This record gives sequence, structure tokens and C-alpha cells, in this order.
Amino acid sequence: MINDFIDVYKNRHDYAKDWKKKNPDSKVVGYMCSYFPEELFYAAGMLPVRILGSHEPQNVTEPYIFGMYCPFSRDVLAQGLQGHYDYLDAVSTAYPCMHLGQAFDSWTLHVTQKKFYVDMPNRVQTPYAVPFLTGRLEETKQEIEEWIGREITDSDLKEAINVYNENRALLREIYEMRKADDVPLTGTECMYITTASLFMDKKDANKLLKETIENELKGRKAKTADDTRLMVLGSENDDIKFLNMVEEFSAVIVTDDHCTGSRYFWNPVEEQDDPIQAIAQRYIDRPLCPQRDYPERKRLPYLLDMARDWNVAGIIALQQKFCDPHELDKVALLDWFKENDIPTIYLELDVTVPIGQFKIRVEALLERLREDELW
Amino acid sequence: MVEKKYKTAPLKSWDKAKEIRLNIYKEIAEAKSKGKVLLGGGAESLIALPTGFDYAMLVGEPYGAAISYLAKSDPDEYMKYVEASEHAGYPRDLCAYMRNYIGSILRDKYVFGGPFPKIDFYLQAGFCDTHSKWYQAVSDITGRPYFSLDLVPFDWEIEGESEKTKDLKRKYIVDQIHEAIAWMEKQTGREFNDETFIQGVLNECESTSLWAKVCIANRAIPAPLDEKTMLSLYVLAVIGRPRNDVVEFYRELLDEVEDRVANQIAANPYETARIITDSQPPWFALDLFRLLETYGVVSVGAHYTFGLSGGWEYDEENKTWEAGKTPQEKGVEVKTRDEAANVLADWWLRTGTVCRGVRHSGAGKIQRIMDMVDRWKVDGAIVHLNRGCEGTSLGQMDIVSSLLERGLPTMTYEGNHADPREYDENRTFARIESFMETMGLKQLYEFKKGE
Amino acid sequence: MITAGIDLGATYSKVVILDDGKVVGKGISKTTLEPEESVEKALNAALQEAKIDKGQVERTGVTGSGRRAIKDADVVATDVTADARGAYHLDKEVKTVIDVGGEDARAVKVGENGKVINSAVNDKCAAGAGAFVEAMSRAMQLSLEEFAEASLKSTQEIPINAQCAIFAESEVVSLISDETPREDICRAVHDGIADRITSMAKRVLVEEKVGLMGGAVMNKGLVESIREGLGLDPIILPDPLFVSALGIALMAADQED
Repeated sequence: MINDFIDVYKNRHDYAKDWKKKNPDSKVVGYMCSYFPEELFYAAGMLPVRILGSHEPQNVTEPYIFGMYCPFSRDVLAQGLQGHYDYLDAVSTAYPCMHLGQAFDSWTLHVTQKKFYVDMPNRVQTPYAVPFLTGRLEETKQEIEEWIGREITDSDLKEAINVYNENRALLREIYEMRKADDVPLTGTECMYITTASLFMDKKDANKLLKETIENELKGRKAKTADDTRLMVLGSENDDIKFLNMVEEFSAVIVTDDHCTGSRYFWNPVEEQDDPIQAIAQRYIDRPLCPQRDYPERKRLPYLLDMARDWNVAGIIALQQKFCDPHELDKVALLDWFKENDIPTIYLELDVTVPIGQFKIRVEALLERLREDELW
Repeated sequence: MVEKKYKTAPLKSWDKAKEIRLNIYKEIAEAKSKGKVLLGGGAESLIALPTGFDYAMLVGEPYGAAISYLAKSDPDEYMKYVEASEHAGYPRDLCAYMRNYIGSILRDKYVFGGPFPKIDFYLQAGFCDTHSKWYQAVSDITGRPYFSLDLVPFDWEIEGESEKTKDLKRKYIVDQIHEAIAWMEKQTGREFNDETFIQGVLNECESTSLWAKVCIANRAIPAPLDEKTMLSLYVLAVIGRPRNDVVEFYRELLDEVEDRVANQIAANPYETARIITDSQPPWFALDLFRLLETYGVVSVGAHYTFGLSGGWEYDEENKTWEAGKTPQEKGVEVKTRDEAANVLADWWLRTGTVCRGVRHSGAGKIQRIMDMVDRWKVDGAIVHLNRGCEGTSLGQMDIVSSLLERGLPTMTYEGNHADPREYDENRTFARIESFMETMGLKQLYEFKKGE
Repeated sequence: MITAGIDLGATYSKVVILDDGKVVGKGISKTTLEPEESVEKALNAALQEAKIDKGQVERTGVTGSGRRAIKDADVVATDVTADARGAYHLDKEVKTVIDVGGEDARAVKVGENGKVINSAVNDKCAAGAGAFVEAMSRAMQLSLEEFAEASLKSTQEIPINAQCAIFAESEVVSLISDETPREDICRAVHDGIADRITSMAKRVLVEEKVGLMGGAVMNKGLVESIREGLGLDPIILPDPLFVSALGIALMAADQED
């Protein structure tokens, strides 16, 4: 049920520690970017958990990371330096971007933990990206096998793929439910659900998702057709406080494009003979982070389709301050939605947000959208 | 008056460097009228790629820096470039080279005179994430086609990357080189000449290896070159390393620098202390090196200055870096396009220290900096926390902390390599002054601005 | 020997008179657009307290951001060096000095005989120190003393942006309009500034004992937040406003002829 997801979101470390108690022979692996191929680790009986920031100011990272790196990367590094993730058996990442990569480099320099690093190609648009990533994943698999002292079989991999695909399908089902005029859950609630699933054993998450869909969401009206439908998109975002503020103004967030939201789970692994290649293909084909959307701009038409399919009236784009990949899309993105008549505001996230200032921007957007409705 | 310890002499190669640089920019301006392919793109790596055509290339980073020089001579004019890009909505914390460049396109103004050149296509072989998307933004504005090659660098040797991983990375790049060539042929409707390409690749290896040798000569006491001079010399490798005249220039330069070492000709006649810097300097404010000189301090180089267009090969046995051995030195024959592609990919992956340093910092980058401190006999470090370049500032703070732990006097100052609005000269000079006190150094003569 | 140490800061000009290493007079004045006049005023006050004529001063040292305005000093040095020298004289065990001024904060690592090992100052994205607290106290219509006192009575921590003063300010405005208890806002401001100062200080590799100096450390609320941020127990150096002036006066006395 939604409250259970909220509980996991708020007590993510307790969840992972409990999991470890229940699975004393298994390992917990933290990862930093949603391009991390979790299936490989899950197939080895491990719990992959995404490392997010705490949204609390801190004073521990300045000797290790430059102030021009995004607040998220600094917040993530702080979690490691402050020892909040000491229970991890390994820390890992697929190459994310320079900022989060810096957080990983610094974390592994100062916190003694086993590390895994996957060279995720940037240019997913080249046909050579899949063979490259497949090769790297094969090596990662071997590295995991050496670490745990046993083989990961094809059937382990297929089982992991199935569990992950089921999780993706269930989350997708919830997003489909949000297409309704009377939305069964708020965007804030949905963010709790998607973000909590980043921390959960997917088998547990799937069970809970099924229950939530069947026993809580079906027939529920969290918001009505009178609420203004919005989409949020941008960089890492688990800013509950912000989403909550937006939805207090008779508005409802009905979909998103964030790596902590839909980008994380949108596409399944399609079956192929070689499960490793199938996994590689999935990460190459997934909805794009701006970091990897070039030379062609494939992300913009994808976002427009989503906005239309979910019948969105307006968009709130949110990026981590100093995030270059998002900033390099900013002009094109604003032009694109202007051309396509979807009013959009663009805000910058920091570790904490000046809610009052953002309130004014959001209210102005909503007033504009409601004026449009009047005409 | 303090007595000079060493003799000095002007650098003979200086004028030639200037001449080649001007020629390159002239060739760009004249390219279209001479029927050449004109492309734009980044300096980062693999700039031998278009050498299969009769071509000229406008390399973006030094061009962005050239615009920032205006801030000194004509600040109002400079502001028009950045304002053009900012008014169009490009955020102010993006790469400053890129913002200057975009401003130049939006104003249709070539900083060396006339309208912005009509570029046929853009080509980037990037390891910096921001630069990989630079020409996507340019392509949005100009509508010109753009190809981006994804260079996934090797990790630092200390990380013990497997041969299999290295092979995968080489192959990934070689495949994309072939893809890029086919793409360029399609864009230009011209045939790619393998012979000139092979020569371009060999030149790219040789220029960068020679530059590393020049840097190595600077291990001598007194240092034959100071970093300010090096910055004027390395730029030829940045913009023209596949060219015959550039290779020839570096051969002559190396001879001259080795001769200076043999005859104890110094960059700074006092040489009271040797430092290294980190990241690009604020290009429009190289006076800070002049200020250091008044204390007898010589900056012997930087990870950036050595490595952006330098070929450095790791010596596993001695855990240090030496100038990369070129295919010519190793007696490797390069006869086909595919062989050349393999040589080029391998060269950048193995010998590009800045290339890997923009992707991986950590223990490996620290090892490289410590190697410089030891082998260039360095007494202190000045780190430019460069708000304009997130690529070269990767790992900087960890480097600063490591240098301090080692007990090496180290100072930081904030600035921007190509946006003067983010550099505060008074504040920086004040910091240098206290740093000099910390190092126990006295000013030997008065600093006069602009000399 | 009688020496004068002048610290020409951006906000205040401070002077210390030493007689054979003993402080015999101190003077302070607001730094105006005429820095020489400001120094003259502070110097006269110090001389008056010391009951010494100007002509008796044998050597003068000058430091502070405006030090170049003063001609004919015997010793000129930056604040970093003067801070270390002054702090070392006051307490030989101090290894790290944190100087919290109006606009800037600075950390200095002190080595043997009061020599500087390294130092750091706040960077652009984390600028602001004492003056920011003053601006916030004005926004809340409190005197600085009331603001400091209120902060000590706070019962809850409210996270505000630790890095960017502009963001922090708008968060404070939001807190005021949300009717957050006054005490908690005051503390949030101190915590935010203290996070910035201690973040920066950690860059010099902080070692105990830590000595605090500068005008802003007279604010007890801010000192409490710095204490928490460091996780150490710093001392406040005696006469925290005059440590630099003392340091440069000592350097003038030390100078060999």
C-alpha cells in the first residue's frame, strides 16, 4: 500500500539492513545512476539499491568535490562520507556523467568498499554501443562471479530479468492509471512509489505493487478532472516537498520523465538468446538522459508523445543546478514545447529548495493554464 | 638589487609558432574559396580524422579562448559575444569556450574578422560530456550536420583495467572511426584519401609525443620554459597536430629546448621556487604568471598543459610516465585505413592523460600529479578552480587535499578560463601574495601590469 | 621597543600598540572611503589608551585587505600570515585559526613558531559571513544581540541552503512567511553560515586546537553553530577583532634591522 512505500522511502537504510538480516549470505550493492545494469547483480542474489541524497545541508564534501558540481552529486558523496551507507558490500556505478562520476571517484577514494564500474557508452545512437556494452557486461558478470565464488547461470539471469520486467510492467500499469480524468493517485504519492522501488527487492516491491493496485488504487479518486494536469521532467528529482506544494494548488502531476521516475523503469528487457546482450540492448534503448541524447535529439519527440498521451496541460522542467547535459537541452526543450503549445516553466533544484520562490513560479504557470482553459 | 642566478635568452621558435598559428586561421577563412572542406569541431582527440580530405578545421576551444582575450583589449566587444549566447538562453555556467563560440555564431562574427565561416559539418571526438553535446547546440542553431564520436577512455593504470576491457574500448573507437569516415564522405560527396589520412595519424602521434618530450626537458633546473610560454607553444598541437609543418615545428622546438637545458638557459633568471598549476589558466589574465615571476617563481607546467595534446606512456616498471613511443619509433608500418584507425584509437587511449583525467579522477589522477611534483622537482601548486570547465576540474579538490596531506604548499583560486566576469584579479593576486608569504618567498622586483 | 600593528580591514580598521611584546593600547574605527583617516583615528585611540606619543612608535606593521593604502610601513603582510602570528602568540597550542569577518571567512593552518602551513577562504558560491547574518537580522527586525540570543533558544533544526546565499535568503523569506518560530529561523541562518564556514575550514585539514577570531565570532549563536558544524570545541581567541593587528605588530617587532 502507498503508506508502505512511503515508509521504505523514509527508512531506506533500515529496509536494506533488514533485508540483509533476512538474507545473511547475500550482499547489498549501492549504485549511483539509473543506467546501472541491476539485473546482473540481482541474478547473483544481491540487492541493488540506488544511492540518493538526503536533502540535508552538510559540510563534509568541500575538501573533495568542486562547488560547481551539481548539488545532487555533492549530496550523494556526503552520504558516503558520513557513513550512511556503511552497510553496503559494494558501491558501484555505470558511467553516469562527469558530476556523479566525480562523486563515485571520491567516494571510492575515501570509503573502503568493493567497487564495480561499468563503462556505459554515451553515444547510444551508434550501432556499436550494444556490442561494446555487451562486452563490458560480460566482464562485469565475471567480476561478480569471482567475488561471490559461484557462477551466474543463464537461468539466474532470465529469472532476474523476469522479476525486473514484472516490476517495470507494474509501475507502468500505475502510470497508465494516471491517464484517467480522475487520477487515482497524486504525483507525490507516485513519486514515493517509484523512488521507494529503487531501494527495494523487486520481488517485495512487486507484491506490494500488486496489492496497491488491486486494493487501493482501483476505484480511488485522489484528484479530479478539475485539477490541472501537469508533467514534471528533468534530472534526478525526489523533491517530495516541491511536488507536494505544486499539488496543493488544485493541480495534479500525472506523469514524469526523471531517472528516479519513469526513465528508470519504462522499457523492459526484450527476450534474446543471449541474456547479457538482451540486458545491454535494454539500457541502450531506454528513455534517454540528456547526457546520452546526441547527435540526434530523440528525447524531445518522446517527451511530447508522453505529454500528449497523458493529456498534460503544462510542464514543469526541473534540473539540478549546474547540470550541463540538461542545460545543453534547455534552449531546444523550451523552444520545442513552445512550438508545440505546451506552456513550460524551468526551475533549478538544489539540496534544499526555496519553496516560496518556486510557489510564485508555479502559481503563475497554473494561472496561465487556467486562463487558456477559459478561452 | 637581487642577483640573477641564471642567464636567459628569448626563444627562437617563438616567431615560427606565431606564424603557423596565423596561417591556420587564415586557411580557415580562405577554405571555401579554395574549394576545401571546412569543418568545425573539438580539439580533444583524434583530430587526424578529417585528414583524408583537402580540408581546414576551426577548432572550437582555442577559438573560444581567443574571444575571451577581447575582454582585455575591448571589454564591450567581448560582452556582445557572451550576451548573445545568454540572451538566447544558454545558461551561464556552461563551458565558457562554448558560450563564446555560440555567441560568435549568433552574431555571425568571426573574431579574426569578417562573418563566421560557413562550416560544412561539425565533428567531435569527445571525452568531455559537455563538449560531446556542444555541436548539437551549434547544429540546432546552424542546421549544419554533426557527428560525435564517443571516446570511452582507459582508466588509470593503477586501477588495473583488464586487457579485454582495453580491447573493447579500442574496437569501439575503431568502429566509430570507420563510421565517421563513411559519414563524412556522405556529407561532402568527396572520396576519403587513405594516404593523407595515414600521414595525418602518424603526425598526430608524433606531434603529441614531441610535446611530451618538450615538457620532460622542463624537469631541468633551471627550467628552460615557463608555463606562460608553454601555453603559447602547445596550442599548435591543439589546433594542428596532424599537420606536417606542426610536426616539423616541434622537432625544432625540442632541439632548441634541449639546447637551453644543456646551456643552463633559464625561463626565470632567479628560479627561487618551482610550481605546477592545475586546469586551464584564465586565458585573458596570464599576468598572474608575471606576478609569480617577480618572486622568482617559475611554473614548470600543469597536468592540463602537458596532457591536453601530449602523448604520455605509462612505464609500468617505474610507475611513471614518459613520452609515448610513436608507431614510427616502434617500427610499426601503417598501410591501410583500418591500421591507421587502430593506431589512432590506441594512441589516444594509451597516451592521453587529460583524456582519461576528464573521465576518471581518484587515485590515478592523484598519482599523475604526484609524479609531476616528484619528477619536475616542484615546491608548490596553484590550483585554478575553474568554473568554466567541469572536465578539467574533475578530481581537483581531491588533488588539493592530497597535496596538502603530503605537505606541499598549495593554494586555490576561483576563476574561469574564458569568462572574465568570474575571475577577480585583485582577490587572486591577494591570494598569491599570501601564498608567497606561506612559501617564505620575497618579491624581488615590483610587478608592473601588462608588461 | 614600541611597535604599532595596523589591520586595515574592509569594515573596520584596528590598531594594536605593543611595548616590548605587551599590548598597551588598542583602537578601532569604521573603515571609510578615506582609509588613511580611518587608520589615523584608530591609531590615535590606541596611542591614547597606551599613553604614548606617535613619535615614540619605532616600527609599524600593516595588514588587512586595504594594506596598500598605508605607505611607509616597516612590515607589510597579508591577513593570513598576521592571523597565524597573532593566534600563535595568544595560544601556542592553536593549530587552526578560523577568522570570520563581515564578507569573508578564512581558515589558516598554523605550524611551528606561528608559521602558516596553508590557508583557505570562501569561494564564490559560498560567499558571505557576518554581513549575511546582519542582513537577516535586519530582515527580521531584530538587533544582532537579539538575533543571537533567539537562536540559542531554538528547539528544532531547519535545513536551509548551505552553499548559496541568494538561495538561503529566499528560503529565509519563505520561513518568515510560513510563520516558522523566530528562534528556529535565527538558528537556521546561523547553521547555514556555519556550514559554509566549516566546509571551507575543512579544506585546510582542521586540527585541534581551533581558535576563532574576527568580528562575527562575538555572535554567540553563530559560534554555537560553528561548534556543532566542526564537531570540535573551538576557543574564542582573546580580543578576537584584534588578532591580525596584534600579529602584524609582533612581526614588526621581530623584524631584524
